[in-house]
Amino acid sequence: MNRAMREPSLGTIGLGGVLDIFKLGRLPATAEELADEVFGPAGERGSLVISGSSGIVGAGKAVQLSSRLHRLGVRVVGLDFHGAPDGIRAQYPALVTAFGQQEADRIIGNILRLGYDGSHLSPELAGLRPRLLLEAIPEKLELKKAHYEIFRKEFPDLEVRSVTSGFPGSELGVGIAHPSFPHQINKVWEVVEPKPSAITRLLWALGMIPVPVSDHWSFVLDVLFCGLTHASVRYHRTSNMPYWKIDKWVRRLLGPNPFRAHEAIGARGSNFLTWSCLHHLGLKYGPLFEPTPEFVEHKDAGSDWYPPGHFRPLVDWKLSPAEESDLGDQILGPLFQMTSLVLHENRARLDHVNAIGELCAQFRRGVLAVARGAGPAEVLKRVAAYHKIHPEAARGAWHPEVFEAMDSPEWQQLYVNAEHDGRVGVITLGRESYNQDVDRELNRAIDWLQQEGIERVILTHDFHLATQLVGADTADFHPALRSEDDGIRISTDWSETARRLHNDFKVSVGFAGGKRCLGGCLELLLHCRYIVAREDAELGMPEVTLPVVPGMEGCHWPFRKAASAHWPELLGMLLGGRAVKARQARGWLVDHAAPLDAALATAWLVASGGDHGLPERKLVEKALQGLPAGVPGLPEAGSPGVEAAREAILATVRAACGSDLPGALAIQARHSAAFMLSDACFHGRVGTDYQKTQLI
Amino acid sequence: MFPSARIPYGTWGSSYFPAWQTSALAQVNIGQFAGESMGRILGLRKVPSHALDYLVIGSTVPWHWKFWNAPLVASCMGRRLPGYHVEQACATGLQATLLAGAQVESGASEAVGVLTFDRTSDSPVGVFPERRAFQRTFALGDVWDNFGFDPATGRAMIATAGNAARKYRIDRKEVDELALFRTRQYYDARESGFLGRVLVPLDLLDLQGRSLGRIDDDLGVRQLTPDDVRAARELDTCVTGPTQTHAADGMATLLVTSKQKVAELSPRPDVEIQFVAKAEVRTEPALMPEAPALAVQKLLAQSGLAMADMAVVKNHNPFAVNDVIFTRVTGYDWRLMNTTGCSLVWGHPQGPTLTRTLIEALEEAVDLGGGHVLLFGCAAGDVGIAAVFKVSPGRARS
Repeated sequence: MNRAMREPSLGTIGLGGVLDIFKLGRLPATAEELADEVFGPAGERGSLVISGSSGIVGAGKAVQLSSRLHRLGVRVVGLDFHGAPDGIRAQYPALVTAFGQQEADRIIGNILRLGYDGSHLSPELAGLRPRLLLEAIPEKLELKKAHYEIFRKEFPDLEVRSVTSGFPGSELGVGIAHPSFPHQINKVWEVVEPKPSAITRLLWALGMIPVPVSDHWSFVLDVLFCGLTHASVRYHRTSNMPYWKIDKWVRRLLGPNPFRAHEAIGARGSNFLTWSCLHHLGLKYGPLFEPTPEFVEHKDAGSDWYPPGHFRPLVDWKLSPAEESDLGDQILGPLFQMTSLVLHENRARLDHVNAIGELCAQFRRGVLAVARGAGPAEVLKRVAAYHKIHPEAARGAWHPEVFEAMDSPEWQQLYVNAEHDGRVGVITLGRESYNQDVDRELNRAIDWLQQEGIERVILTHDFHLATQLVGADTADFHPALRSEDDGIRISTDWSETARRLHNDFKVSVGFAGGKRCLGGCLELLLHCRYIVAREDAELGMPEVTLPVVPGMEGCHWPFRKAASAHWPELLGMLLGGRAVKARQARGWLVDHAAPLDAALATAWLVASGGDHGLPERKLVEKALQGLPAGVPGLPEAGSPGVEAAREAILATVRAACGSDLPGALAIQARHSAAFMLSDACFHGRVGTDYQKTQLI
Repeated sequence: MFPSARIPYGTWGSSYFPAWQTSALAQVNIGQFAGESMGRILGLRKVPSHALDYLVIGSTVPWHWKFWNAPLVASCMGRRLPGYHVEQACATGLQATLLAGAQVESGASEAVGVLTFDRTSDSPVGVFPERRAFQRTFALGDVWDNFGFDPATGRAMIATAGNAARKYRIDRKEVDELALFRTRQYYDARESGFLGRVLVPLDLLDLQGRSLGRIDDDLGVRQLTPDDVRAARELDTCVTGPTQTHAADGMATLLVTSKQKVAELSPRPDVEIQFVAKAEVRTEPALMPEAPALAVQKLLAQSGLAMADMAVVKNHNPFAVNDVIFTRVTGYDWRLMNTTGCSLVWGHPQGPTLTRTLIEALEEAVDLGGGHVLLFGCAAGDVGIAAVFKVSPGRARS
């Protein structure tokens, strides 16, 4: 019987646990099987109809889904009013950039556009055998209901999903599949349905991230994002601070810039949607959500929140520490209160609430991670301070008791889960980039497995919220740009966690089953005794391009596990920053690379002690001799920053490899931290991001 | 006068007034700067800008997009308010405040923003078709060409000071002494922290969002020594560099509201500031510096008040001779007035000059425990303007 710290994320859409994936040696479902179920068998498949296909949501989803469904023989029918501006065609240039012209032509060619007069369907539609309607028409309840009626009359068995961001399915009488901006590329869908359907599983099999949410007004994303926008407008009302500057402060505090986001989506439409969400939430939950006059004005006028280009902001708004604390109260206070409502109503699992904020609303750390970091006392203090400023908000939708459970595994493991079957454990990362939250949770997961007596473990992504591992979250490096101690602390802490994968288990397998495994995440996996990868997974250390010096022992650990003949390849990867396919890295970076199913099976064999035939590449603990002085044929650095990073990385490799294993950790941490204080790092991607988001 | 209107204490503020061409203000659209700064100042004073329902702006130097006047400036503040623009040369600040009082008194508005500003640096040049003149087309630099020529008299602004000095037989020694005294008053007020309560440092951004500079000083003001003043070259009778003001850039804002709104907006609603009386005169041609004194005489006669009733007296004094003449006309010792500084010292951005002067005067009156505030000044066209406000004592500060 399997045990888990908490239910695996994948289980929430009816796809079981990650441990089962390894045991079975395959994914729990395939797109082909599910396309059969949703659209009919190959050769006879019906179509997906997207109504409102010229709008931002409809057009974005039409191309995103067509890019996946055309390979399965499922036509996408785009339905919109005659004469509506062609939103689908506008996606074409971006498709060409992403996929090349040939594939872009196939994707667009798979979308058949039909006109619609608002009350009659085109006779052509019947011939296309619609099986699923994705409704993306304006947020007007009666309009939507009438629309469904028209379809149901003609296609009684048609499955319908609304993309609504506000109306519950119980009001609409259909299921919900609420996508997130930017619709062409964002993979998250908030799904409302009584139990996970084949449609939801198909979305997952197509590479999307369907997340179950409860059937309440405005779902999770819009409560958090519209709520944050609302809090920002309320702050404007008390402080007069212009929206552009509030965006900067909110971005510094949390990550999103809510007003710019409205303009990026299109002010007219997004202002209406935000107002509509707040309006309905206000009706149900009271003043916490009631739209301010500014919302009404922006909704009615469809006006931008930022000044026009000829009035680029002139007077800056610096804040004293007291003013900054007040801003924190006025932004975090309502956000925590709204979060309490979301949790009180069980609108979604905690890790999903947290992930929705990060994946859909630009939160650097999800709102629950922020609340957890603050602690329950601080959360209550913030809300109390907010209620002093807006006493009316205290009248409802405030459930402080939800924060009392912060010690529960659901709160404590927002990103990392662990499962085991009594013998083999699997640790899953539900976040594609590694940060301090993930690091602490990973330690807790390791502790838990040890307490459970597990000595064999696989470390991988969770196959749901994270399907690849892209490296460290460089926002966590910001303190290190100013403080060597912080740089050393981050590097040391993370490296010590990574070493536990080697030291604390008899067998550990790092499994790179996604498209990429890069940077800090690769360094982490490399600490496992074995690395198994999907053969086309891209593995690399792009740190030099940022530039930073890898701080999680990437400059010596892989050298200690590879034969000296392969050291030039390792050095080339570190100094060149280019990724390699896993199949090209067999023997010096990975122990096994194969197609996904075979890789899964091998990983399980290794972890469970089966007959896998893979020799363990032993870790050399003493100082290494004979490291190459450089890499022949390395391309030009191209910038002083990369040049400086190459020198620093080379020096780190020499120093860390030149030490024994116990001493190498501190050496690598010192080198990594020292480089973060350099001009090269400050003027690179990390420093630029720091300046843009923090020095406001 | 305007019994329903009040100026809510503590809802005001002014930028520093850097001398022309000395600061980043020389590079900006001053209307935008004023609008954005008003939002900032009100924010610092804990006044939500949505509490306003009208905006009176005042400026004298044309600025880019001036045609769109108060509504545009309100938009720069982040509010879509109606309103209008008022212009009366150096009387603009006081006149705008009085008109705001009338707006409230009429019942048309409850909370009116008064926002005055000017940028004398790099003033625009107007090109005027003149079919009656042989040149056919005139190009007029708005600040300096106007200072240099009053079309009604054919005389320059500075000449009015010389004329007035001669008419009142003023001794340059007294004028020099006055200029030194005024400078000391300014520095005393600055060192006491008084100006820090009225003036707000403002950070400017360039088009890329980087710092363009900080407006945190009355640049152009300098400590004077008796030798400096004595050695200064006389430009006209009793008029030297140190005894006349300098052009400057800046903004200043205050609110005029109904009595009810004061409780909502002011940090000290117990302090009541009322409008009492107003007078204006136009004196004989090219004698501008005597006009304010005559306006005060008229005001006192109209209101039945005497100079002895005034707790605070301040004026806009572009020339030191203004104050000497004021003493000659009213008998009021110029040493007793302008105790926190004046435009002779900190410069003259025209539109906001009397607004800042009024703000300083009201703040000083509150410090003194209330009383009447007399504010006056001269304006182009040989005009003098004067007004009296009454400040209640308020509750004693803890």
